[in-house]
Parts: sequence; structure tokens; C-alpha cells
Amino acid sequence: MVELNLIGQSLALKDVAFLEVVRLESLRVALLVVFLAGLSHALGQSIVLFANEVKPRRFVASLILGALIYLSGFLFFSFSIWLVEGFIFGKEESFKNMVKVVGLAYSPYLFNFFILTPYFGSFFSVALSLWSLAAILVGLRAVLALSFWQAFVCSALGWVLLQLVNRTLGRPVHSLTRAGRRLVAGTKLEQSPKNLSKHQGRS
Amino acid sequence: MIPDALSLLLILIIAFLFSGALAPFEALGWWAGWFGRQKEDIAKTAEPVQKPSQAKHFVIFLTGIHSVSEASFARREIALLEQLRKRMPDAMILELFPYSVTNQALTGQRFFAWFWRLALKLKLSRLAFAGFIINMRNIWQVAVSADRRYGPIYNQGTAESMALTLRRHGYTFHSGTPITLIGYSGGGQIAIGAAPYLKEIIQAPITIISMGGIMCSDPGLGAIDRLYHLYGRRDRVQRLGFLLFPGRWPLLPYSAWNQALHDGHIQLVDMGPVDHTGKDGYLDSQQKLPDGRSYLEQTVATITAIIEEKSVSSALWFGRS
Repeated sequence: MVELNLIGQSLALKDVAFLEVVRLESLRVALLVVFLAGLSHALGQSIVLFANEVKPRRFVASLILGALIYLSGFLFFSFSIWLVEGFIFGKEESFKNMVKVVGLAYSPYLFNFFILTPYFGSFFSVALSLWSLAAILVGLRAVLALSFWQAFVCSALGWVLLQLVNRTLGRPVHSLTRAGRRLVAGTKLEQSPKNLSKHQGRS
Repeated sequence: MIPDALSLLLILIIAFLFSGALAPFEALGWWAGWFGRQKEDIAKTAEPVQKPSQAKHFVIFLTGIHSVSEASFARREIALLEQLRKRMPDAMILELFPYSVTNQALTGQRFFAWFWRLALKLKLSRLAFAGFIINMRNIWQVAVSADRRYGPIYNQGTAESMALTLRRHGYTFHSGTPITLIGYSGGGQIAIGAAPYLKEIIQAPITIISMGGIMCSDPGLGAIDRLYHLYGRRDRVQRLGFLLFPGRWPLLPYSAWNQALHDGHIQLVDMGPVDHTGKDGYLDSQQKLPDGRSYLEQTVATITAIIEEKSVSSALWFGRS
């Protein structure tokens, strides 16, 4: 119940949720939220699995792998924000607490599966990103005692840092995760919704 | 505890959103073979026609979003089909439930048949909410057809259903016998989505008649021969297609819709003071036009003129009054 309360409060962007989560000893809530958000995300993107005719058991395994990859991406993102807040704003919050705050702020991503919604999927994707960003800002402000703009700079630079790492050092990791996805799915995952049709021009 | 109106509204919105997120699964599962899809080239592997039909034209009617199966067509739709059969004895007029990739009636589903049978029963006993649930389910299938991610899958499924229906009724693929798809309301989108794939299978000219169709700027429009969009001036439902799909806005001249319109593949047909459905709708046999014909008679005359390649304007109210 504590978990549900915290998630509800973070969805409502209440700072008390983040102050509460850092008081908890374990990372359970944060990691649970992110793992479930990852599952939801994998489900939201599952068109690729269907397009490649992945069988039901492998489909479930692919969702779990997707959630684990999502979790590792989250850890990198939290680490980036932690580096930025430490180096730029001189805050001495522990990395563990940063994981708790950013993890709870991922609560809106629990609804990632709404990306499946036909025609309005990208609207949900953008809305959830903005919602989660707002939650991160509330969390950083509350826990690190930052101003709005400082919190914004923190998450923006954290995001930029993550993108830089993704496009440089992260490449071998990406190749590895791609190989893992193919292995679990049991196909090369070459089909995308786009190349299923000869009639996909401009719309 | 009785939930207040706001809570009920919230529950409805959440149910609507959930049904949207779940909507693509039937088509996706079908594509992935979870529900026994046979991977085959229908044009080659479908059973040969035992008794080829002598019909000079094949017409497939795609019902509006109010249906749960091809057998539950509204009274007015049945009247339309009867009149079309009378007016065009040389044509084979077929019906198809377009809101399922496998042409499977909702009342014939494996797990939820009981639910849709109940919804249909309640709807027939004039419980508006049951009708709303059926409409909601089918509207999302229209959105699946219009979606760039799911459209290629869904539209191939409905095209295969159409091809098999044609074959069952004696249509010979590659014979060149012309086909007309009549899409009523949401059926308009299903028709333009499926037509390019159907054309690939049957290799014959396809004409689409949208009767108050809600259609997006589908990428497949480039492969369509002719689309006649029949619209009533009081039909606000068909206007949703214009409002919801930016590709139909004049602001985007290079969209598939606007290009097809520019190239003359789409013809907009003004049906006069006609509404989308029910009384005053395209199929109303009571309401009269200034020329003395009923709205239904005008609709039948217009569809017949298009199929028989005669002048469309002579079938319209302003062309005769």
C-alpha cells in the first residue's frame, strides 16, 4: 500500500512523495516502478514483435528483457543527473537517493502501454514524457532543495550526457542489447511496421 | 454507494482509453499467427472457383460502426441493399463485417461472443449505452486501419477477407471484373485502407464509394482508381474525418488525400440536406428531397450511377430539381 500511495502522490506531482521515498531504506519502490514502466514500455512498442511474428512465449520473454534494458537505461539516466547535480550544483546527495527520486518520477511511464493506442499513440508518448519530466523536477526540487531552473538544468544536462554516452560509448552496449533481443525473440527482428507495406508513402 | 456523475464520466474515459490501447491486438495477433493465420498467397492458394459467377460487377458493402456482425445490419441498410439488388440485377452485392481483420463477427468471437451478444440484445431493446459500447469498439478498429503502424497489417487482413468473400461468391481473380466497395461511415476508412491490397490480389479495377465515410489521408490512396465521397450537408460525423486527420487539411497540399483530390481520383459528391444516420440520413426512405424522391432513393440512384458509370450529377437532387 505504501508503494501505491507514493506512486499516486508522485503522479499528482506532490513533493511529499519524493521526500518520503528517500526516507525509505530500500530501493524497492523505485526499481519496481521502473521495471513495471519498462514492461509497459515494451508492450507499447510490441508492434515490432508482432510484425516479426514472435511466438507468445518468446513475446513474454522479450517484454521482460525489454523491461530490464529499460531499467539499465534508467540507471544511466539517474547516474547522469547525479553527476550533473554533484559537479554543477555541488550537492552531496547519494546516488542511491537519486535512483529513488528519479525512479519514483518514472511513475507516469507506468502508462507507457497507451502508446499502443491507434492514431493517438505519439500524443501519449509526448504527454507521458512531459509528465515524467515534471515529476523529476518536483522530486529534484524537493530533495535537493534546488530552484525550478536548477532542477530543469540538472535533468536537461543529465539527458544530454546520457545521449552523448549513448552515441559514443554506448554503441557496443546497443549492439549487445540488439543481439540479446534477437536471441530472445528467436528472429532477426528485421520487419518494421513501415516495410510491411508497399503502400506506405506520405499520408 | 452510487458513483456520482463525475466518477462515472471518469470511468467511461478510462474504459475508452483502455479499449483504445487494446484495439490493435486482434490485428497484431492475427498477423503474428497467434490466432491461426495461414501464411499464404491468397491469389495463388485459394480454392479454385467451382461455379464462376456470371455477375458483371461485384459490390461489397461495408457496414457502419453500429454493427457487431454482417448479419446485424440495420433495417435501413437492408433496404439499401435490397434496392441496389433490384436496380442492378447483373451485379453481385455482398456484405462484409469490416471491423475485424478476419471478417469474424463479434458475436462469433472465441472468448467475448457472449458479451457482444448481450450488447446487441440490449441495443435492440433500445438501451443506448449498449450501442455506445459497440460503436466505441468499432471506432477504435477504424483508428487501427488509419494508423501508420497498424494500418498495413489491418488493411491486408481486411483485403484478404474481401478477396475470400469474393471468391466464395464465384469471383475469378485476374478476370478483370470490376469491384466496388461501398463504405458506410467507418467502413469508408476500411475501404480505402484495404483497396490497394485487394487490387494486388484480384488484379481488377476498384471503385470506392464512401457514404458519409470517416477517412484519413491514407497512403494507399495513391493506388486507388476512383473514390466517390458522398456527403450530406448536415452530416457532422463525416466531417470528423476532416477534423481528426491533418492530411486532409488544405494546408498540406502534398498529402496523399490532397494529391488524389488534385489528380481527380477523389470526387466529392454533395448529397444535399442529408444527415449521417437515422431520420434524415442517407438511408431515410421517408424524408423527401425537393425533387420528390426520398433520401434513400437519391442514395440508391447515385450509387447505381457510379457503378454503371453514368452521370452522377443527374442522380443528385440539384441535378434534377
